[in-house]
Amino acid sequence: MIHWLSRRHPQYIRSLVYMLQASEYNIVDFLKWHERVKDFRHIEKRKHLMFTPKTIILFTLGWIALLATLGCAAFAFYHVASPWNYLLSALLVFEAPLIVMVSLLFFVVCIRFVQYPVEQFLIARTRKRLSAHRGIKIAIAGSFGKTSMREILKTVLSEGRKVAAPGESYNTPLGIARFVKELQSDEDVLIFELGEYYPGDVRKLTQMIRPEWGIVTGVNEAHLEKFGMLEKTADTIFELAESVGASRLYVNGESELARARSKNGNILYTRAGAGEWQVENPTTDLLGITFTLLKDDVSMNVRSGVCGLHIPGPLSVAADIASRLGLTNHEISDGIAKTKPFAHRLEPKQWPDDITFIDDSYNGNSDGARAAIEFLASLQGRRFYVTPGLVEAGTRVMEVHESIGRKLAEAHIEKVVLIRNSVTPHIESGLRAASFKGEILWYDDMQFCLSALRSLTTPGDIVLIQNDWPDQYA
Amino acid sequence: MQKTIAVIFGGKSAEHDVSIITAHIPIIDSLLASGQFEVWPVYISKDGAWYADKAMNDLSFFKQDGWEGKVGGMRKTGLLFDNGLKLVLPGLFSKTISIDIVFSAMHGTYGEDGSLMGLLRMAGVPFIGCDIFASAVAMDKVLTKQIVASEGMPIVPYVWFTRTQWEEEKQLVIKKIKKLTVPLFVKPVHLGSSIGMAKVKNDTELENAIEVALHYDDKVLVENAIEPLIEITLPIMGNDEPRVAECERPLNKTEFFDFSDKYLSSGKKGGGSGANSAYSEVPAKIGDELSNKVKELGVCVYKALGCEGIARVDFLIHADTKEIYMNEVNTLPGSLYHHNWKKAGVSNMELVLELVRLAEERFARQKATAYTFHSDILRKVGSSGKGGSKL
Repeated sequence: MIHWLSRRHPQYIRSLVYMLQASEYNIVDFLKWHERVKDFRHIEKRKHLMFTPKTIILFTLGWIALLATLGCAAFAFYHVASPWNYLLSALLVFEAPLIVMVSLLFFVVCIRFVQYPVEQFLIARTRKRLSAHRGIKIAIAGSFGKTSMREILKTVLSEGRKVAAPGESYNTPLGIARFVKELQSDEDVLIFELGEYYPGDVRKLTQMIRPEWGIVTGVNEAHLEKFGMLEKTADTIFELAESVGASRLYVNGESELARARSKNGNILYTRAGAGEWQVENPTTDLLGITFTLLKDDVSMNVRSGVCGLHIPGPLSVAADIASRLGLTNHEISDGIAKTKPFAHRLEPKQWPDDITFIDDSYNGNSDGARAAIEFLASLQGRRFYVTPGLVEAGTRVMEVHESIGRKLAEAHIEKVVLIRNSVTPHIESGLRAASFKGEILWYDDMQFCLSALRSLTTPGDIVLIQNDWPDQYA
Repeated sequence: MQKTIAVIFGGKSAEHDVSIITAHIPIIDSLLASGQFEVWPVYISKDGAWYADKAMNDLSFFKQDGWEGKVGGMRKTGLLFDNGLKLVLPGLFSKTISIDIVFSAMHGTYGEDGSLMGLLRMAGVPFIGCDIFASAVAMDKVLTKQIVASEGMPIVPYVWFTRTQWEEEKQLVIKKIKKLTVPLFVKPVHLGSSIGMAKVKNDTELENAIEVALHYDDKVLVENAIEPLIEITLPIMGNDEPRVAECERPLNKTEFFDFSDKYLSSGKKGGGSGANSAYSEVPAKIGDELSNKVKELGVCVYKALGCEGIARVDFLIHADTKEIYMNEVNTLPGSLYHHNWKKAGVSNMELVLELVRLAEERFARQKATAYTFHSDILRKVGSSGKGGSKL
């Protein structure tokens, strides 16, 4: 009933536009979301509709469609013979929400026909600009850890070279085109993150960028719902290997699926090191990580502000690339020292009353969850692990979440706080199967859970938030 | 199944606004966060009208401009004593809400002084905190000292008198006060939050301070001020087996620890939210031996007054001799002193849920007590037996 009524609420049009924007105008994703929504009045929870030219047109179109439908209903009522006038006008009034939605989707489809040639033009122009650019291009692909790798590389290489990298989620052809347009042409190194949503995505990007160096950060279940099979995910990510020489492709050796796809000549990196660099004596805490970097007769004690025992892997990749690009050891050490926690990725913050909050809310994949649990387990204090689970794990949803539950139990985490949804019962199953000794707490949504945590915690407690579902999954 | 809990706050008291804060931080916030209760906020206005509306579960309601007008526009809530307490929300579709338990967050008069507890006892509903007797005694600083002293526990020398005595026997009262040692503290006997309280060093200041105290109360206490002084306050929770939180030392900004220190300070030290978060040292750095003595004495005072649920015992300690004196007892510490309990390892939710458990435990015990008995007295009274009947 609420679903039916809320579709007839004035807020419905705004909600439709927001849903289209949040789904990145993917009609299949939009329709799946639309099917799940129970109350269209309360869609914008984590984010809000951004008014761009496209959304303004959609919003206006939605209202025009609604008013036109109601106008048609009035016209039918007075001009169509009885009793059909009643039937037709009632049908139009009751189905006005459907007509509005179809109008918006029709517009989205139409705009693609306009957008496609524009996009092709922009991509061609970007390819041309990049081929003329003197900078070394490094491309990063993978199911997880791309942003962290990008930021680490950028920080370390910036000690000796002029480096540019797109910010936030500029990992699509249009995003990269926008970034390239802003370049000064005097950059020494350009770093690109390659987004992968469908087979062929990475190839399309590498054909545009033509990278000299590549990094595969790993392969896992992220976006499995779109790919269907992990093999397809791996195929797509390793499209990067087609355009990068084997000796210039770094592959995360800790990712089983990525390691299996690596070829002779590729450089495997792990927390033990990368290329010629070896890592020894790593120790991590809330201030970051310290370890020794060794290469031939060089030994450097380095400190990074980034947390987690897995971080020496990406840091040693940065050290190896920096070394190969001619940076001095001193510059490499200084660059590593300047790396800081990334926003919403194992980012420690201090709450009032001496409570530590670790924001890992942008980390929504199984490898990231494993690293977060490992880090949390290394800390002293009463530990809370809060999660709504992971999204898009496809057919492996049960396996992935039960594994998280087992790892939490093995790490002896004191409190596991779960947000009620379709996947968290699997985490509970994993916890029970591993004879979890701590307490399991349940909340209906993350916002309420976060405010409740203020009431649950005492000084010295550590709260880690693992992933936060975007509105389209909540 | 969720229990229905009414959180009563506001009231005809000088501590009306403090009560609103206590009700929300930590009580309502924690009750809602626990997911175990349907929470009905019951606000009593300064003129004594009762209102219940779930919009008041959010503290921001009371921070908006003109909130008092919004409350005034609500329908007043009625109370029904019908095998427990029921809230009656009037209107076209009037609604009756059966209350399983009451959490009183009322400071000062009509709330913390036992008045509300009497009402709730009559209604036959479990309620959080001290019962009517401990509340009434603790509200009277003189009665508290008399009971504590009678149990052999230390208090500072004091004199008390009523408004009538001051007006009719002023010289006699002053003569008694002269036996004390200056500086002195002058306090209204029934007020909390240091309202109307003053520290005096000479006769002029003394008379002025007494006049001020009599403006707020009709019973005044004058007592020796301890110098050099260490003030310590100790939150305690429990029924038969009380547990203590941490000894807390107020960090005085004014010469004594007044209302603004308690509720309006905005330093960073406490770091938390709520009333008493920013002005004190927790745990107090007074050494383990002295801390343990204070805690031991605190539990004795708590038991002597018959406190249950939660209370806070305040002490005065001579900084040189380390002599400890019981100062006063507060049966509803501001914001339940949740900042202190947190330091003692008790989260807001654990604190609030434990208080609910203690209230239910006491209620179950009271239900097992017989308050009535069968008698033939009515049948016999006035009967026409020879010589009548003797009652």
